Amino acid sequence: MAITRDPKFSNLPEVQPDGSVQLPATVGNTLWSTDDPRAYGGLPLEAHPNLELARYDATGDGRVDDARWGGALSAIPTKADVVLDLIRANSLWPLLSGLACCAIEMMSTATPKNDIDRWGMFPFRASPRQADVLIVAGTLTTKMAEPLIRLWEQMPEPKWVVAMGDCTCSGGRYKRSYSVVQGIDRVMPVDVYIPGCPPRPEGLIYGMMKLQQLVKDRRGHWPERAIGPTVPKGI
Amino acid sequence: MRPSLDDPRVAIPAESTWYEPAPTPQTERQAEFLSLREGEMFVNMGPQHPSTHGVLRVIIKVNGEKVVDLDPVLGYLHRGVEKLCENADYHQAICYTDPLEYVSSLFCEAAPVAAFEKLMDVDVPRRAQYIRVLTMELNRIASHTLFQGWMALDLGGITPILWAFIERDEIVDMLAALTGQKLLYNYYRIGGVNGDLNHEFMSRLGTWMSRAAAQIDSNLALINENEIFVRRTRGLGVLDAKTALKMGVTGPNLRASGVPFDLRRDRPYLVYPELEFDVPTRDEGDSLARYLVRMDEIKQSIRIIDQVLHEMPDGPVMAKLPRLLRPRPGRAFGAVEGPRGVYGTYAISDGTDQPFRMRIHDPSFVHLQLVGPLTKGNLIADTMAVMASLDPVMGGVDK
Repeated sequence: MAITRDPKFSNLPEVQPDGSVQLPATVGNTLWSTDDPRAYGGLPLEAHPNLELARYDATGDGRVDDARWGGALSAIPTKADVVLDLIRANSLWPLLSGLACCAIEMMSTATPKNDIDRWGMFPFRASPRQADVLIVAGTLTTKMAEPLIRLWEQMPEPKWVVAMGDCTCSGGRYKRSYSVVQGIDRVMPVDVYIPGCPPRPEGLIYGMMKLQQLVKDRRGHWPERAIGPTVPKGI
Repeated sequence: MRPSLDDPRVAIPAESTWYEPAPTPQTERQAEFLSLREGEMFVNMGPQHPSTHGVLRVIIKVNGEKVVDLDPVLGYLHRGVEKLCENADYHQAICYTDPLEYVSSLFCEAAPVAAFEKLMDVDVPRRAQYIRVLTMELNRIASHTLFQGWMALDLGGITPILWAFIERDEIVDMLAALTGQKLLYNYYRIGGVNGDLNHEFMSRLGTWMSRAAAQIDSNLALINENEIFVRRTRGLGVLDAKTALKMGVTGPNLRASGVPFDLRRDRPYLVYPELEFDVPTRDEGDSLARYLVRMDEIKQSIRIIDQVLHEMPDGPVMAKLPRLLRPRPGRAFGAVEGPRGVYGTYAISDGTDQPFRMRIHDPSFVHLQLVGPLTKGNLIADTMAVMASLDPVMGGVDK
């Protein structure tokens, strides 16, 4: 598909022919600028009492993380990150996308005996627009790979992937099959691998709790993650 | 690499070919399906859809709220099982077949094991036969309870699936105590079963049996007398006996159309001739009948389990067999009556330790063909009710 540039974003780096972008993706602040006379209470930048905040904003250091926000809010990064990540970690909404056998165990995880709702992971959303976590439960075949990547692309950032089961971790018992993707990390970045064929519901709960820990540990590091799937050529 | 839709730098032109273009028709049927009359449109459902029981994609041609035509697209779960089995030896092939239908995997093991045992003229010890019957009937109950929950879920009720999973988890945990695995048991072996009944399994089974009948009755009372459920399913997707036989339908779907065919009674295998059970049938052939036949089968399965537990003989659970199996050249067909219909395996041996050809027959594939004929003229929402009442599992359809 041809990639054309939207003139609205002409200040942004060039998209390479292979689809990659060299510079980190940043979205400019089009609402106001630091030399706006109304900015910083009408004072010149150097005369502003909160010099640290002004310098922070003028250099653009605060705008590295544009998948989340830009501008002056980044001056108070630590506390906001902690709070936001606590909220995210304790309300991980998975996408309801069972592929094969593991889907039954994934459903079992959501039902009364195991009840993943206790950790705030329950509402299995049927639409990728509302989901945070893609639990790939079951064998991913080459025919299903493209719809699954499309689902992953439709999920809003920040988003995570859990590979549930041997088939999604490495190919598992279908290692020698001609029609199975040998591990979903060939088509999308994976955060947590849960081995087992299929893993027990307890295993899925453990994996999701690991993901919660990972969400909390990775705070402030979103720009280091690739945006969108890293699909190798030829798949 | 395709650019991400989240990427703000990328503007996708409106006339983009992001969605696949309409295919050029190859057959007359396809040409008819692709031609739209006044007021008709296509609606795509799946492959990721909560009601398709897996990864089925259905293209529905609708006129307003009515389904005019329907075309299922298969192959999203094709794992190449038959080919893998032909490259594995006879013991390993069993392990490849049990993820086929992941809610009733013991039946998917039983069919190839039956075929291989015919190929090798193995006599299975009687205790092993009883254990097979016991575990298969347990698996049938687990599958039918899940069916009940799914059917209600597809019609909009959330409670029955939660109740169904309580029963299913109990049965599956019990089988896990016996086989060591929770979903894909890999328990049957050529010439017997892998391991005798153990204490944990028996004590769990005893506790469950003491309350099973009452518990399942209360599960049924949840929706059997629910007026919305009954009125939505009665008279919906009527399948007459003649069409059913012509389409090759088996199992509860056939018995709901009034044909009392049950492989356990009509082509007996294992120790079924010695056990007493009824074959429940209904004459209506609609979605409600298909549901009620399955619910009656649960009661018969409990009856069979009760008899098996009383008549279980002592003895070995494995026939004495060499470790490397090389059957004589020949061919054999083994079939068992599963919760969805007849599971069959046709195996050809060329004298080596691997099957030369292994063909897997799965009832879900046959039943999925019925979704089109049965839903024409109904509402879109009734497509789900018909599909749920036929109870296909995509793993078995795509193999």
